[in-house]
Amino acid sequence: MSGGWNTIESDAGVFTYLLENLGVKGVQFEELLTLSPEELAPLQPVYGIIFLFRYPSEGLPPRPKESYDHDAAERLFFARQTIQNACGTQALLSVVMNKTDEVDLGARLSEFRDFAMALPPDLRGEALSNSELIREVHNSFAKSSPFADETQRAGDDEAEDAFHFVAYSAVGGTLYELDGLQPAPVSHGDCGADDFPSRVAGVLADRVATYASSEIRFNVLAMVRDPRVAAAEMGDQETLAREEEKRRQWRWENALRRHNFVGFAGEVLKGVVAEKVRQGDGAYEAWIQEGHRRRERDEGAMRLRRKMGAAGGDTGDGDEMMLG
Amino acid sequence: MSIVPLITFKAGACEYNDEQRDDNKVKPLPAQGYIYLYSDDDLIHFCWRKRSAPMTEPDLDLVMVPTDGQFVPYTWADQSSAKTNGRIFVLKFASSSSRHFFWLQSKPQSRNGDPSWFSPRDKKIGEIVNRLLQGEEVSATQELGQVRNVDDRRDNDDDETMEDVEGHGGAGHGATGGDIREEGEDAREGGSDGARAAAGGARTAPASDADAAVQNFLRSLQGNAGLGSSSRSGGQQAADKPYPYLNHLLPNETTIPMLASASEAFTDNLLGFLPPTVLVLATGAGDAGDVEPSAEAAAAARASLRLAEKKNLLQKVLRSPQFHQALGSLTMALRDGGLPTIAEALNVKVANGGYIRGGGMPLGGGEAVEAFVEGVKTTVKEEEEQRRQ
Repeated sequence: MSGGWNTIESDAGVFTYLLENLGVKGVQFEELLTLSPEELAPLQPVYGIIFLFRYPSEGLPPRPKESYDHDAAERLFFARQTIQNACGTQALLSVVMNKTDEVDLGARLSEFRDFAMALPPDLRGEALSNSELIREVHNSFAKSSPFADETQRAGDDEAEDAFHFVAYSAVGGTLYELDGLQPAPVSHGDCGADDFPSRVAGVLADRVATYASSEIRFNVLAMVRDPRVAAAEMGDQETLAREEEKRRQWRWENALRRHNFVGFAGEVLKGVVAEKVRQGDGAYEAWIQEGHRRRERDEGAMRLRRKMGAAGGDTGDGDEMMLG
Repeated sequence: MSIVPLITFKAGACEYNDEQRDDNKVKPLPAQGYIYLYSDDDLIHFCWRKRSAPMTEPDLDLVMVPTDGQFVPYTWADQSSAKTNGRIFVLKFASSSSRHFFWLQSKPQSRNGDPSWFSPRDKKIGEIVNRLLQGEEVSATQELGQVRNVDDRRDNDDDETMEDVEGHGGAGHGATGGDIREEGEDAREGGSDGARAAAGGARTAPASDADAAVQNFLRSLQGNAGLGSSSRSGGQQAADKPYPYLNHLLPNETTIPMLASASEAFTDNLLGFLPPTVLVLATGAGDAGDVEPSAEAAAAARASLRLAEKKNLLQKVLRSPQFHQALGSLTMALRDGGLPTIAEALNVKVANGGYIRGGGMPLGGGEAVEAFVEGVKTTVKEEEEQRRQ
């Protein structure tokens, strides 16, 4: 084992630049707000879907044995998951590695694919977790918290549930579910590139329906062709400008994600305290009192949320942590 | 009855189902706690308590027969399905099949942030506990003094080791606290080689006579004043002092008006603490890929921005979820023993260096955050006075 994998956020900007930094060209992620084919169809060509969900600690319902396609496990790029924190990255790779006829992987990832395809699926997972390239790029998107995340997680009631990523993609005329925790890809029947949006929407809707609605939180990201490519070809300046702005926003967020804010936070705190001290007249004490009030308010809100349980439309807020 | 622990360190309990199933998981429980061992009538007590509980009221108190117990790291190889995402120790017994799992709650030290990586220090703690269970006499203070941790992540400047363990009865603050704070400076000891070297070299004789004399002296004091962590969480101070988190002190409603009235010098100073990408993006540069611009590019970007643009940019950062998350984790670090190192890194003068008076443990909980904010107040007042002179 060579080093660890940090948790990263399930976010379109993170995933897009993660693949780009691995050398993949012309791919982008879009976060989907619904599971409807209407939302997915305009994004075509859609290479695949990344489905992140949180499931209760009792685990997932088992699959019937006949749904596994063991032949596809060898033929496709399918890797058994060995590193929990890498599962999001593994799901991205499960899609893009099976789309080599449409997507340029770049030299380094192609080289890794050639190497890994010669191995059986369980060793592919092992190869993935030992890949310096993939691990370094993955970890470059981790939050820069110089402190123990364990302490943060400790206060979180939701920590006991597990998160998991599953990829869906149409490969060679079949809709596959690629889940590294399963022994092989799961076939969902015939499916061409054109009917992928409607077919995968149906499969996901069925899947979500098998859990009680209060038990599952999910986040769906579509892997699509970089919209700037088509926009540039068609001279669609409006789309081009909009997509460029989106990218700038993603880069901004990624930069802040990686940033160590300790120094900045210290300076801001000094600025605020200096202001309160200058104001005199109990301004500092009043500010602390206000802080106490906010804390009590937050704690009250937290208790209320706990009481209400997981109910409520709490689907993908774009800020899920990859834990599984 | 007064208890004199042989070693105390931060650890949490784990839930584990004893049935033999493939998907059995060791589930760390969130409660913050300590494992501590003490000797009574020549038998070792292995205890776990919540941080808020006094030493005399542990949640778990196992009287250990010498050589019956084993305390060892629980690693990936022991598990069938998935890698651990924390540093877990297992307490096993020769006489029974029951097991207890614990997770270390000190800061992970891995270079790559691998949460399951055991640092030399983590291993040493495990080794000391295991040797105590075998009936050996071990001086935790002395042993731990010989292990240096490695802490060489990217952002090394603010990334100090926190004091996580207290070997009791040694030379006190000067020996444990002092050594621990200097950890991580020697990157050559990094990696597994360092771990082997450190662990191998540390098998030394039991405490020397002088050391024993100091221990006895300290023990005689223990019942009255309390020392180290025992004073922190033993009886006198059971409840956490309520104090706002930094998030509650620095909401947008507070920071944005402060920024609005700030001078250009202060604004420029703040910009210096932002990542270069953010500055370059503020100038309207196009998508150059996800690469960090050079310091020169950042400086040029900063110079080209007008004051209103600079404030606009800072306002966006102050409102960002990333900044607010960082305030949360900074508060947790302060509460969890990081006050001395954080205050030092930020040049904030805190009372008594952030340690409990008369003890080697850092302040914790709400007291630590309060000491930090009060320290900032002292520091800015001093700076203000210097400016006036």
